[in-house]
Amino acid sequence: MAIDFQRNEGTLIIEAAERVDSTNAQRFLEDLDAAIEPTDQVVILDMEKLTYISSAGLRVVLQTAKTLQRQNSGFALCALSGTVREVFEISGFDQVIAIHPSQDEAIAALKG
Amino acid sequence: MTAHAFLKIAPNHEQLELIPTAVEEFAERDNWPPDLVFKLNLVLEELGVNIVNYSGATGDIEISLASDEESVTVEISDDGRPFNPLLDQDTPDISAPLGNRPIGGLGIHLVRSMMDEMSYSREDGKNKLAMTKRKSE
Repeated sequence: MAIDFQRNEGTLIIEAAERVDSTNAQRFLEDLDAAIEPTDQVVILDMEKLTYISSAGLRVVLQTAKTLQRQNSGFALCALSGTVREVFEISGFDQVIAIHPSQDEAIAALKG
Repeated sequence: MTAHAFLKIAPNHEQLELIPTAVEEFAERDNWPPDLVFKLNLVLEELGVNIVNYSGATGDIEISLASDEESVTVEISDDGRPFNPLLDQDTPDISAPLGNRPIGGLGIHLVRSMMDEMSYSREDGKNKLAMTKRKSE
């Protein structure tokens, strides 16, 4: 698991890569918590390079979504590959977290 | 042609990390598409974590994989307390709003959704779960 992030005018874009599973989900949560600032108006988690996620990783995404909702920040996921997307759909997470095909579309939707 | 693999691990988190490597080696020999590797890894991770965290198993977890033209069959057994993932776990409320989303129960829900067939039995003090996944949708 690896994350990269960049911030531009209140928009934080986080790129997650490789695998998020039960062995590294806690570190994934800590990395996300460290990256996100209360002043971020919009946070986008780009999963294009994520090859695997299990329920341990879903929990982290859910916790992050809840944190951002509390601080009134926008949150969306983008660029999920086929099976990663399927995991989110089976869990019903696509009903409570916005999912967009690309970073640009996620930014356009959240920043209007 | 049928291919087989067998893995025996102690019920702890370090040993669970051996599962993806074993699945990927088998998958490579048997030419699985990436989607199938992902799903089998996910199912074994969710069940393995459940056994290690909640079952109280002390003996080895045994995993067998068998593959033919049409499907992959996985069997997993443990000597923990009786647990039938088909019946003993409620489906989490996957339509709840964000603030009320339950954190537990998702793993078993994913397993049940991803496998095409599942059967559970309790034999000789062991949980035995057999699952089949078709290679094409």
